Amino acid sequence: MNSDLNGTASAAAAGARGASPRMGLAFLGSLRELVLVPVIVLLLIFGSLVHPAFLTWNNIVGNVMGGTSVLAILVVAEALLIIAGKFDLSLQSTVALAPMASAVLVVPTVYGGTGAELSPFLGIAIVFAVGLAVGMFNGFLVAKLKLNAFIVTLAMLILLQGLTIGISNGRTIANLPDAYNFIGMTRVLFIPLEVWIALAVIAGAAYFMRFHAIGREIYAIGGNVEAARAAGVRVERVVFGLFILASLLAALAGLVLTSRIASVSTGQGANIIFTVFAASVIGGIDLNGGRGRIVGAATGVLLLGIIQNLLVLLEVPPFWVTAIYGAVILVSMMLGAFAGYLGPLVDALKAGGEKTPRR
Amino acid sequence: MPIETSTERPAAMPGVQPPQIEVRRVSKAFGPTRALIDVSLTVRRGETRALLGRNGAGKSTLVGLLTGMLRPDSGEIVIGGEAAGAARSVSCVYQHSHLVPAMTVAENIAIGNYPRRPGRRIDWKAVRARAVDALRPWGLEHVVDRPVEKLEPVQVKVVEICRALAQNPLVLMLDEPTAGLDRQDAEQLFTFIDTLKQKSVTLIYVSHHLDEVYRFCDSATVLRDSRVAADAPLDCLPKAELIAAMTGEAQAENQSRWTAPARRTAVSGTAGIGLTIKNLSVPGRVHDFSLQVARGECVGVAGLDGSGKAEIGAVLSGLLTPASGTITIGDRRYRPRDVRTAIDAGIGYVPPNRHQQGIVPQMTITDNSTLTAVRKLSRKVVPGVLSALWPSDCRRVFERLAAQWDIVAASPDQLISQLSGGNQQKCVMARAIATHPEILVLQNPTAGVDVAAKASIMRSLEDMLRRGLALVVISEDADDFVLASRIVVLNHGRVVDELGAEWTDRELVATMQGGLQ
Repeated sequence: MNSDLNGTASAAAAGARGASPRMGLAFLGSLRELVLVPVIVLLLIFGSLVHPAFLTWNNIVGNVMGGTSVLAILVVAEALLIIAGKFDLSLQSTVALAPMASAVLVVPTVYGGTGAELSPFLGIAIVFAVGLAVGMFNGFLVAKLKLNAFIVTLAMLILLQGLTIGISNGRTIANLPDAYNFIGMTRVLFIPLEVWIALAVIAGAAYFMRFHAIGREIYAIGGNVEAARAAGVRVERVVFGLFILASLLAALAGLVLTSRIASVSTGQGANIIFTVFAASVIGGIDLNGGRGRIVGAATGVLLLGIIQNLLVLLEVPPFWVTAIYGAVILVSMMLGAFAGYLGPLVDALKAGGEKTPRR
Repeated sequence: MPIETSTERPAAMPGVQPPQIEVRRVSKAFGPTRALIDVSLTVRRGETRALLGRNGAGKSTLVGLLTGMLRPDSGEIVIGGEAAGAARSVSCVYQHSHLVPAMTVAENIAIGNYPRRPGRRIDWKAVRARAVDALRPWGLEHVVDRPVEKLEPVQVKVVEICRALAQNPLVLMLDEPTAGLDRQDAEQLFTFIDTLKQKSVTLIYVSHHLDEVYRFCDSATVLRDSRVAADAPLDCLPKAELIAAMTGEAQAENQSRWTAPARRTAVSGTAGIGLTIKNLSVPGRVHDFSLQVARGECVGVAGLDGSGKAEIGAVLSGLLTPASGTITIGDRRYRPRDVRTAIDAGIGYVPPNRHQQGIVPQMTITDNSTLTAVRKLSRKVVPGVLSALWPSDCRRVFERLAAQWDIVAASPDQLISQLSGGNQQKCVMARAIATHPEILVLQNPTAGVDVAAKASIMRSLEDMLRRGLALVVISEDADDFVLASRIVVLNHGRVVDELGAEWTDRELVATMQGGLQ
């Protein structure tokens, strides 16, 4: 045993064992995923100064959080896939198809149904059955047949959108049974049920990615798929499962959206995929896979929700809202890039100034 | 300085040639890390200079400075009499290909420097003609229109050299040129490099392979801990001294301890059968391969690229399903299906290329080292429904592995991509034994790893042997077989010979190449 190696090894071992010097900087571990928090705080302060109705319980919880619950669920679904190095564009079409397929089988013919008039509870099950079927199909094409995720899910986006229009004859179905509107009409502890649902999805996914073996495997797949495979990760199985999970979450998002607006339209969810990707990337999800945290993605959603809300409150002319929204996404991305620059700094701080052995 | 006084034998007497590269007291730091401290060296025209040093010694930084990719913090670099950076007069052939795989050889050679016709249109005829000219000395004109991805590894290397030479550099730098080549290809490349030397091209040769260094180089500069540890003609620098300079004096003794005698003292199997392979076949690759490895025994499987050794590793690891044959671990039958099945059967696996199949660069060393064991390490929160992987459990396992493998890092949470090659490889090793295997299958375990890390890895493996693991080492590098009590040599998918404990390097190489029959 050479002395030089020995010395550094024991130093590293000491660093590994002696938790105290690290504890002080442990909070930095979550800095990268919470980099948007100061921006959100600034926006909250700014909003409360420019409009009295902004910083109220109803506005923040009801409008901002309630209004972004659908987006939040979709972002979680997409983020899981992106971290694994895949993605699914067709999620936005599932948001419309799943509740539409369910609605036409439940409502009477006069309201646009097929005449099947199934029970509403069976109808809710159908929402998720559609999600399951779409997810299995996407997963089969991408994970088993190894087709390119972009082309497959783009084709599926178009196909599913067409199916939605086809089965509904292009009509919006409004007279839904109460079961469909339950989520949108219910508050628990002064908080809308859809916000609870979104929070549960975020918390569940964050826990899963951080404290579950499969979560670790998902990061490995996105980081280096061959290394993951050689380490015993059943890559195809995990990716297949992720596509199913993502589509199920999209179906849930579709149900929440339907419940909020008490109707199903063929256009619901249209173009939301762009916002989904924007929020994910703003929230620190690396489009190359293998990096990013669910909680970070959730802060991305919150940021976009606050900005959208402020634009409405400030009565920005509606014709300008889209342009401003686009600009905001762009600026947020630049902030995200800035957060990326912070990363190495964080690592340096965590290493506690110790010399980093680097080739 | 006397210039051109000796014209009769310029290559043999580099001392009197004018300096082509002068590095004068250069220092370079990256943040708190001082990569080079007060480094000076002079390379004369027609000289072949070896640049040596362990990973992290500062080689890469010096290469970057010479090619103009980096700028020194202090000191100066003069190339061909001009300050560096004014003209890019040093070309480098890097260890990893910098060619565009989908483009043809001709396009790759011309890239960035296209011959033009009026209107700045690319002159494709001239592109091709130039490439043919460049390839002719190597006898490779026929590949000119072939996409680089369709080339043999050694051809890729040659195309890289052609591209580098197409820029008319004053100095050509070769960074680990034989990495990824099998022996035969390496030999072919050696003859090419000899051709370059005959043309009095000034070369800088960066390598871990000391045999190659002694074969080609006139002199050597050794870096250690960011400083020049030795700078002398190789005639005056015997191997032992060179190694001492690379590792620091204290390690020289240690170095000689593990290369030769360890092989003699290799632990022989006493504790029963570990692994039995019978009549294993992979169509077109492996024919009727049988092997028995006892617990506490290390057996080598040697062969060139394409000899079938890689497939045997892939089968044992679960990545490849064989057409026929039986594999038994202890007295349990093992049926290869996927890597998880192999792990559950008690096989630990170190893949041949750590960058491709070993490390997940975005993950920490702890997460990398425990990746194989995440499911075993999970605790049941609600049995059958919810399980959780506690970071503290992973940390505990990592600390044990880090001690076993001598992993040197600033913190268990450091990203693996920040570690040196040797420590990255140790993490891949750690990953393989994190599942407590009975059989350890290692492919190229010390590829691209410096001398000290090699020694450390072999010490750890020796320890594994003592604990009764059965080791199967699959490689073509003689250094990897120091613990092997015997080596099974493959050629074109068949076992051609079995060498006993008294094997020599030369015997091994000759047998792998199909000679000595």
